[in-house]
Amino acid sequence: MIQLSVPRDVTAQAVLGARGIVKQFGPVDVLRGIDLELRPGRILTLMGENGAGKSTMFRILAGQLQPTAGELTLNGEPLRLSSPHAAHAHGIHLVPQEPMLLPELTVAETMFLGRLPMTGAIFRHVDWKDVRRRAQAVLHMLDLDIDIDRCAKTLSIAQLQLVECAKALLHDCRIILFDEPTSPLTSHEVDNLFTIMRRLAADGCTLSFISHRTEEVLEISDDVAVLRDGRLVDSAERGSFDRARLLSTMVGRTLRDLPRRETSYATGQTVLEVEELASEPSFRRIGFQLRRGEILGLAGLVGAGRTEIAETIFGVRRPTAGRVRLAGEVVTGKPCHDLIRKGLVYVPEDRARHGAVLAMTIAQNVTSGLLERVRQSAGLLSGADETRLGATAVRDFRVRCAGLDQPLRELSGGNQQKVVFSKWIATGPKVAILDEPTRGVDVGSKEEIYELIEAMARDGMAVLVISSETEELVRLCDRVLSLYEGELVAELTGEGITAAAVSASYLGRANVEDAT
Amino acid sequence: MSAWERSLVILLVIVTTGFGLGVPGFFDDISGFLSMTSNFLPFGIVALGLSLVIFTGGIDLSVGATASLAAVMAAQLWATMGLNIWVASLIGLAAGGVLGGINAAVIVFLRVEPLIATLATSFIYTSAAVAVAGDAPPSGFPDAFNTLGSGALSLGRFQFPYQLLLFLPLAMLFWLLVGRSAFGRKLVTVGYNSEAARYSGIRVPRVLAAAYVISGMMAALAGLVLSAYYSAARADMGDVLLLTTIAMVVLGGVSIFGGEGSMGGVIVAVLLLGLLRQGMLIAGFSDMVTSMLTGAILIGSIAARNLFSTRAGGFGRRLLAFVRRPAVAGTDITRHDAS
Amino acid sequence: MSAIAMPSRRPVVAPRFAMTRELMLVAVTLGLTVMVGLLNHDFVGAQNLRFMLLNSVVLSLVALGQTLVIAMRGIDLSVAPILGLAAMVCGLLAQTHGLSLAVALPLALSIGLVLGTINGLLVATLDIPPIVVTLGTYSLYSGLTFLYSDGTQVDAVPSTFAAFGNGHLFGVVPVPTPVLVLLVVLALCWYVLRHTAFGRAVLAVGNNASAAYAAGLPVTWVRIRVYALSGTLAAFAGLMFLCYTGSATVTAGTGDHIELQSIAVSLIGGTAIAGGRGNLIGTVLGSLFLSVVLTALVFLHVPPIWYSAGEGLMILAAVQAGIGRRRGSRA
Repeated sequence: MIQLSVPRDVTAQAVLGARGIVKQFGPVDVLRGIDLELRPGRILTLMGENGAGKSTMFRILAGQLQPTAGELTLNGEPLRLSSPHAAHAHGIHLVPQEPMLLPELTVAETMFLGRLPMTGAIFRHVDWKDVRRRAQAVLHMLDLDIDIDRCAKTLSIAQLQLVECAKALLHDCRIILFDEPTSPLTSHEVDNLFTIMRRLAADGCTLSFISHRTEEVLEISDDVAVLRDGRLVDSAERGSFDRARLLSTMVGRTLRDLPRRETSYATGQTVLEVEELASEPSFRRIGFQLRRGEILGLAGLVGAGRTEIAETIFGVRRPTAGRVRLAGEVVTGKPCHDLIRKGLVYVPEDRARHGAVLAMTIAQNVTSGLLERVRQSAGLLSGADETRLGATAVRDFRVRCAGLDQPLRELSGGNQQKVVFSKWIATGPKVAILDEPTRGVDVGSKEEIYELIEAMARDGMAVLVISSETEELVRLCDRVLSLYEGELVAELTGEGITAAAVSASYLGRANVEDAT
Repeated sequence: MSAWERSLVILLVIVTTGFGLGVPGFFDDISGFLSMTSNFLPFGIVALGLSLVIFTGGIDLSVGATASLAAVMAAQLWATMGLNIWVASLIGLAAGGVLGGINAAVIVFLRVEPLIATLATSFIYTSAAVAVAGDAPPSGFPDAFNTLGSGALSLGRFQFPYQLLLFLPLAMLFWLLVGRSAFGRKLVTVGYNSEAARYSGIRVPRVLAAAYVISGMMAALAGLVLSAYYSAARADMGDVLLLTTIAMVVLGGVSIFGGEGSMGGVIVAVLLLGLLRQGMLIAGFSDMVTSMLTGAILIGSIAARNLFSTRAGGFGRRLLAFVRRPAVAGTDITRHDAS
Repeated sequence: MSAIAMPSRRPVVAPRFAMTRELMLVAVTLGLTVMVGLLNHDFVGAQNLRFMLLNSVVLSLVALGQTLVIAMRGIDLSVAPILGLAAMVCGLLAQTHGLSLAVALPLALSIGLVLGTINGLLVATLDIPPIVVTLGTYSLYSGLTFLYSDGTQVDAVPSTFAAFGNGHLFGVVPVPTPVLVLLVVLALCWYVLRHTAFGRAVLAVGNNASAAYAAGLPVTWVRIRVYALSGTLAAFAGLMFLCYTGSATVTAGTGDHIELQSIAVSLIGGTAIAGGRGNLIGTVLGSLFLSVVLTALVFLHVPPIWYSAGEGLMILAAVQAGIGRRRGSRA
């Protein structure tokens, strides 16, 4: 093994343990007593739905958060991590879900951020030779063909993640935690990442990784720990878990009981038609129809192109080919304000960036799509109307808040999402495209949102649901379309929509044939 | 009324009574007091328009140059082309709108940052102003025009300055526009998060264009009022406008980053800074000293706001950070949607 | 084991790419010089060339500091009055009390250091946006100059000062002293930015302040130092201004809006207003380019009123070129 820097006791077996970890954020219990053990040479996957506490656990392990109770151990000895630096000193590195971006710095410099080796007796200056040598060495060790002189802004997310891995090794971190690394990656990039992870494990590193994708978990894990509602509900070793067990422990019920809607509200009236739609290089040859009252699901891995399709239909992204028809009228390429007026709304995936203005109040957010309706004569907004609409929304959608004047950012994720929903549903659209409708939503609010979506369909709205959660798709949809690397590869209908079929279809044509 | 606005009003009252009692000549009679406003209301006019731009998260460094150019243009139309002064003024006003439109075009179509775009256009407009003014900048406008800047309307015993008569309805209009109209709501939304605004169906380029056009027009109006006040139009007349108006807007509680703030605060800040300046001048302080005080108040008010903000002990923590390397970086970020 | 080649989804930026802006500026400057020289031979005469060079020095000095501040995603509008104050203080002391150059230099630097540090403290510890802070200190420092000068101005400087600002080292070195001084300062700044921990920290903070903080960099301290440096350079420029022009008035610096010019020149030189990278050589070349353009306008008998417009158009052109490239590389 290459010595990359001042050698710590690198041959020591690093067993990172956690005992009885409790974490509370104010009144909210996120972790309720977790016991974990991360062993060298093995990959432990932490699984669980949104809100289960996985990221929080990792952040505690990496010194970013302090547990409310419980303790960490390293090789049996108690471990106090007062900061990420302390964690680094003990060889623990967390590869964050979204890599920290320093766009103008080179790859080499990013890896040495805050720890540039200095040299020179009188004038201390950066030892660039050392930087380059060690950066090159560690990339070579991982067999990564990335030029160390490139600016970080030219790298893709996959590459940035791998650079983070390299960074961990550079600082002799033998315990590496990956927080949902596969979310933004294509399947090819996931393969690369897994190869690197296996290599690191083979080398004696202690790895742990968060995912809620059962296929990935099955592929890479040596050990699995399942969290639900802040508790560890299951842990198992390779060979003793399978897809069914994972799904059922994650969700809390057996697969066969996976609820589906009894009635379909789909009518015969087609309200959205997409023909040969393409926006290279993200997707191509997309065609489907959506009927009133129908809930259509769009499944696939992130990077498959689903959000891009939604953005193209909504007018935020330019199509390179194809046609979109809304209620018979051609609307291809029209800007979003036009589409909203014509009755097509889009609830974006990234609530904070696109969906709502977190700094504004609940009432203001609710009416932001409806400014026309709140207008009095002389073009002024009616405070009374705004309050009324806001109050109606809060009541109908059961938004838990302290008052209409509360800034949206103070609400929980689930309640924020409900406000965003209310904003759009209040406009009475013909078509609603929902992108990851329960992302960042606590488990309790999820069910309420599912009921909302059903109600929308019942009221005659056509709904397109983009989701990465198999359970969600199975629960809600009349039909499911699967997208793989920009192309439609499967369509599941009625009884054919099962968890197995849906998750199989994510991974491409071949798998679909195997599963069904 | 927000806490910030309340503090400003209290400060205004303190300043006014303080000067009224302490400085002879400040408040001899109501008419005299009101007439003082003619000295600083042009700044207020610019501040109204500039606020719109700053609400969107942008900035308009060209307000001074726009004021000068519009004023000089109108003056020349009257002096060398013989146009009626009022018609010329209207053209000047329209010109201000066009200049603001150019700013908007550079920002929206050429995708240049507002700071840079308006910096560049300020240079260009300044040049144009000097060119139009020529060797002999026009002066000596008709009395009817000059009263707009320096005259007053007699209402019984009181003299109500025309500038005030112009400013107050404008202020009310802007207050309604920002606080209670759909446009104002769109403006603020764009300032908070222009992407979210776009996804909400707000036509961001239109909102930005409107903001810059209005800012340009207000700057032009201020320039015209100044030329009425001095009965002359010079190419450097507007130079003094920029820094003070930014100070007025920021003091008024509008965040320089956009989104936050209210028009009410700006109006009070205009009065506050304006009366403060006048009071000090009457008390015998030089122009420079009052500028210094404006600068100090600007910094002090934002500092005070930050110190007393939601984060208790923020100042203490920051001072500590300065003294010691932040190796203990473990910050506990409270998130409601932890996963 | 096979190498894992990662095809990038974004176009590769070659390292040599960074030099294009400087080469472009040099080429355009030379081209312009030659073209105007053909029309008017005096333009390329030794005297004028010397003049254009010297004329750019003061702005370059100020702009170097501004570039560092912008690279850190800040802005410093107060450089103009700092320049003016340093010029006025040194000038008056020299004029009335016979201050020597040897003392004037540390005096000017101290003035700049103190005023710049005040800026830095206000920005870094009180969380006030830099544009607001430096706007406020602009008027505060201008006022200081006014109060100190008390109505007087500097009309004459000792011969040592004049020699520093216009002469040649030891009387024989072909390059004028100010230009040499600028080159030394440029080299120092370049070294600091590229090779010291502080310089790299400046860029890290400009790229992503929270990442820098999380990595253990002393962000607050870095911020204070950069504004202190900017102030020091502006004050030094003020001394140079005094020596070069042999005079100082209350409007030295502020009258020409040197703060806006320093921003303009930094942008032309390739430093992005969003921060994260700083092109010091580009800034100096940009200042020289500006000097050449303005002198060319004089030689071509363009009315002086259009100089300002020319500057504005140049900023737009320079930024456009930068933006055009950046758009292509962002996903």
